[in-house]
Amino acid sequence: MGRPGFVLDVDERTPPLLMHEGEGFRLERLPLGSRVIYPPESLPAIVDIESAIRHALLHPHGSDPLPQLLRRGMRLTIVFDDLSLPLPQMRTPDVRQRVIEQVLELAAAAGVDDVELIAANSLHRRMTPAELKRTVGERVFRAFHPDHLRNHDAEDPDNLAHLGTTPHGEDVEINRRAAESDLIVYVNITLTAMNGGSKSVAVGLASYASLRHHHNVHTLRHSRSFNDPPNSAMHQSYDRMADVIGGQVPVFTIETTLNNEPFPTSLRFLTRREWEWNLTDQASYLAVKRGNDLAAGKLRRRIWQATEAPYGITGVHAGAPSQVHPHTLAAVHRQQLTEVQGQADVAIFGLPYICPYNVNSIMNPILVMSLGLGYFFNLYRGKPIVREGGVAIFYHPMPHEFHPVHHPSYIDFYELLAETTDPVMLETKYEKQFATDPWYTHLYRTSYAYHGVHPFYMWYWGAHAMQHLADVIFVGGNRSTTARLGFRAASSLADALELARDSVGVDPEISYLHAPPMVLADVR
Amino acid sequence: MSTDELAGSHVLLTGATGFLGQATLERLLSSYPDTSVSVLIRPRGERSATDRLSALLRKNVFRPLSERLGAEELARLVRERVTVIEGNLGSVSLPADLDVVIHGASTVSFDPPIDEAFRTNVSGVASLYTALPGSPHVVHISTAYVAGTRKGVVGEVALDHGVDWQLELDMALAARVDVERESRRPEVLRRALAQAGNQHAKAGPQSAAADAERLRTEWVAHRLVDYGRTRARSLGWPDVYTLTKALGERVAETLWARAGRPLSVVRPAIVESALHHPYPGWIDGFKMADPLIISFGRGVLREFPGLPDSVLDVIPVDLVVNAILATAARPPATGPAYLHVSSGASNPLTFQNMYELCREYFDNHPMPDGDRGHISPPTWRFPGSQQVELTLRAGERAAALAERALLALPPSKRSQDWLTSLGRQQQELVQLREYTDLYGVYARAEVIYDDSRLRELHAALPAERALEHGFDPAVIDWREYLQDVHCPSITATVRRAGQRRGRSTGDRRGSSSKVGSIPSRSLPERTDVAAVFDLEGTIVNSNVVESYLWARLATMPSSGWLRELADLARCAPRYLSAERHDRGELLRAFLRRYAGVRADELRTLVTDVLGDALLHRVMPEATRQIRRHRAAGHRTVLITGAVDLHVAPLSVLFDEVVASRMHAKDGVLTGFLETPPLVDEARAAWLRHYAQANGLHLDRSYAYADSYSDRPLLEAVGHPHVVNPDSQLFRHARRRRWVVHRWGAHTGGLLEVLLDVTRTDARAGTPR
Repeated sequence: MGRPGFVLDVDERTPPLLMHEGEGFRLERLPLGSRVIYPPESLPAIVDIESAIRHALLHPHGSDPLPQLLRRGMRLTIVFDDLSLPLPQMRTPDVRQRVIEQVLELAAAAGVDDVELIAANSLHRRMTPAELKRTVGERVFRAFHPDHLRNHDAEDPDNLAHLGTTPHGEDVEINRRAAESDLIVYVNITLTAMNGGSKSVAVGLASYASLRHHHNVHTLRHSRSFNDPPNSAMHQSYDRMADVIGGQVPVFTIETTLNNEPFPTSLRFLTRREWEWNLTDQASYLAVKRGNDLAAGKLRRRIWQATEAPYGITGVHAGAPSQVHPHTLAAVHRQQLTEVQGQADVAIFGLPYICPYNVNSIMNPILVMSLGLGYFFNLYRGKPIVREGGVAIFYHPMPHEFHPVHHPSYIDFYELLAETTDPVMLETKYEKQFATDPWYTHLYRTSYAYHGVHPFYMWYWGAHAMQHLADVIFVGGNRSTTARLGFRAASSLADALELARDSVGVDPEISYLHAPPMVLADVR
Repeated sequence: MSTDELAGSHVLLTGATGFLGQATLERLLSSYPDTSVSVLIRPRGERSATDRLSALLRKNVFRPLSERLGAEELARLVRERVTVIEGNLGSVSLPADLDVVIHGASTVSFDPPIDEAFRTNVSGVASLYTALPGSPHVVHISTAYVAGTRKGVVGEVALDHGVDWQLELDMALAARVDVERESRRPEVLRRALAQAGNQHAKAGPQSAAADAERLRTEWVAHRLVDYGRTRARSLGWPDVYTLTKALGERVAETLWARAGRPLSVVRPAIVESALHHPYPGWIDGFKMADPLIISFGRGVLREFPGLPDSVLDVIPVDLVVNAILATAARPPATGPAYLHVSSGASNPLTFQNMYELCREYFDNHPMPDGDRGHISPPTWRFPGSQQVELTLRAGERAAALAERALLALPPSKRSQDWLTSLGRQQQELVQLREYTDLYGVYARAEVIYDDSRLRELHAALPAERALEHGFDPAVIDWREYLQDVHCPSITATVRRAGQRRGRSTGDRRGSSSKVGSIPSRSLPERTDVAAVFDLEGTIVNSNVVESYLWARLATMPSSGWLRELADLARCAPRYLSAERHDRGELLRAFLRRYAGVRADELRTLVTDVLGDALLHRVMPEATRQIRRHRAAGHRTVLITGAVDLHVAPLSVLFDEVVASRMHAKDGVLTGFLETPPLVDEARAAWLRHYAQANGLHLDRSYAYADSYSDRPLLEAVGHPHVVNPDSQLFRHARRRRWVVHRWGAHTGGLLEVLLDVTRTDARAGTPR
């Protein structure tokens, strides 16, 4: 059992602390009295994963064991989390591969031969054949690709099924093959508390018609936070939809949880507490930092994107989604939850090079915003880390870069921000236009582009934070992109605090969320 | 104000619409109430002589009179007192009761083609004096500069020369025919063709031919100007203007005075803005010295080949008019009378003095420089004409070399910025060359025009008339005249234009951020127009060679790459020369490389791998613009020489795709095209045909392209847009003020795409 998470008070003896900033990092000295929220140390991983998986499949929660659900002649659809999980991509073999292989063995043993594998990519970009192969493994890929291993296509009208509406009038429309199966087996990785549970099928296989009921400004402003499902309007909507789906097609879910090892050993210093760095850590910090700073931008990106996480598995739970998920959440909390007393005036976040939507791609300014004001701001339970009317300071260079193939609608969305950055305004005026633009739809379906509406969702992701905060400052941020997004740029932390003075005074309370590795602040 | 001079006389005025003519007419109407006036005015285009006269009444020269009388009273007065005679010199019947004829019609240009100069200044004069009935007093307006290149004091007497005006006139009129004939000689035409071919071959044979014809007509014009200038110099005049004016005097003497009829020849020097009347500073357009003064104020004229001590003989227009009318009232008793209206003898203004006064003026009132503050006027050191000429020639040569070098550079934002500023410099050089050639002589004149008769005439005026109707050049205070009257007057319009320019660039900058925004509703919604796009360089940042490379390298083991690349490099010079010559040639030559490839394999490859490579290289601004046109209801058309297979991933954006189709036999590509590739003029021709067949209005349509070879396509539509242009097209677009776009901010790099396309695991999904 690793050490629990804790909150460090910065004093004279505190060394400079590690701060991520895109495809780079730095050591930053924080003002005395600042508080630093560290995650619990990485939990020990399950050594015999194969047995753990087998055990979970044979002893599920709230369901018969999987073998009893399988029979000859049935239609079985195996759905798995897409490229957005985990971050960074995990070292192969991916845990999804291990689970899928065992499920397929059981299916084969039961004589099931109508099996389809579908990536639950929702409105994300399709996974490339190479990415699919990496996720499900060579053996499964060879056997099923391309006809029986596919990406979900949320814009294929022939392949969507409308399953009805929830008591709140929300449309439930998902992948037809899955909806018309005798059993859906969902293979999940829960990296943060927002993943898994009802979200898996209800979101991963949904269409725009269905997603718009919870991916909107109103719902997100009432999801406080979306990493705390009981207090998340978004997750309540997922649950209602999952009930509709569960009433029509049985879902057997396998959820896995990870420990806190996102970086390989060569980057071990990124996960260790700074005052405990030994000579090797210090030397590798210097070497990696120097090498990284010197590398050309494109090469640097390739190197970072090629990084594989040596994640260990901390739990495998299977069965009925509603029964499984509490166990999963408990495991996530065990690894990520750190108790924090009271809110701060200023919260500091170092944003890393990756978010769910730029795997093998470019983190454009819209994604930076969603990573910062969406994901990182919402890494709380109870109350936000920073008080209402406080200031958030992010570290990220926010370059004006976009991936032409993956994010075409983002490039156009960025132009809209010149007119307004108000999420409601954008939603009412432009969401539909982007969501139904035939060119974006064409690219989503035939190329590797995110859906036309996706940048809007990214913007809504930050809607709660934008409403909550008085000011948002990016240290080292490109001035023109930061300004376009409606934020401010500062060249140093001191300047950022100077800018924040108007909102929080000269001597604010400061909290720094020291992530990654992942930490969920339990603010009392 | 009444006067008995010219009272009851009938005066005919020619050249009434000119600078001097306007002023004379105004003076006659405002100060000679008992004189009736006839004006001989040519109709011009749609506008009759009467129309031109009414337009004249709205000009500034009549402003004080119109304000005094009211516009309607002025019109009534004109109807009552002025008779309009419509027609050309000599081809109309003139009134028989004329007392005075003031002949002021003349060419205004110093350097017109020889035939034009002779037609107006010699043949026109001859026709008038032949046609003129009776024996009125003719006041023939000439110029002091008929003295030509003479030095020293020139008297107010008949010019001493033996030039046969009739012979010169016949030769000048015949020159046009000679030159036109000469310009059609094969040697000359071949030279024009070669020059046009160098510049325009890429745009197609029709464009090159049109340009060759333009070069020929330009050559004719230049040649005729050269005929004029050189003939003038060979006879002792600086230019054809002064030569023909001198011969005009001789015509008047021969055809009018020799018969004993009264003739006065008035020779004004450089006529400039009014000293007092109709109001101080009145001027109509720019006169001789004004372009020089303004160029100096704008910092363009860094040096000028003038002699500091030579006299620049400037005379305000109202003094000239007064002298003309005083002369008109006093016909000479015997023989023709000559009169210099000039300042050089009694109140000389040296070039150096003029420079200093103008400099002082511009120091105190600098010219605005758009939105970049003000321009500081240069300092002249008068290094002598030889030195100026050498510097100028060196500048011209350097600019020409620089232009060739820049056009040869690969197009980039920076090289085109250089091209822009070079264009500006070239313009300045051209202007400088023009001024030096034209005016240099005047600024080097070492001549004084004797004005004793002028002063005599002035002294003869009754004292009460002398004040308002006098013409004594000694009254001019040059400092006051130049700094308070003349310079403010001539720079006023330029200053206003400069301020407007400053504001408009500001506006443009302000709106540039809006250009890229999605909800641009600037495109008018209509279904009867097309938006035509070129592919390579306009929508995608790649070319036929690149897509071939993707296809080859993606399908061969990496061990074979080197051989393929080496082979490509070996053929590169051939492709390059084909490209320079004709884009169609390049396509034909290059596409041969596809011989032997299976069509269906290529199609699969495009779907699986190359489609993405193409999308990587797409310029997002282009797809945005295409969709904007679609949203506005415009018909979107893609015209490309690229192979249709490669274009497939983009085809959903277009209502019509025109691409090359490769010939296949038994499913295998032969490397030949099925139809000629659509390049340069073929595109424009195709578009015209397409528009006609589909009822589209090309004058309201749009075209987007990047290469000079697309010039015909761009010129075929009303809204040409240039995208990341090559340097030649950039230069052309700038001259035509076409919209220039810089697209491709987020387009993937060539190397990245190649890495992705050829990565083995990228092809994991492609069964083979």
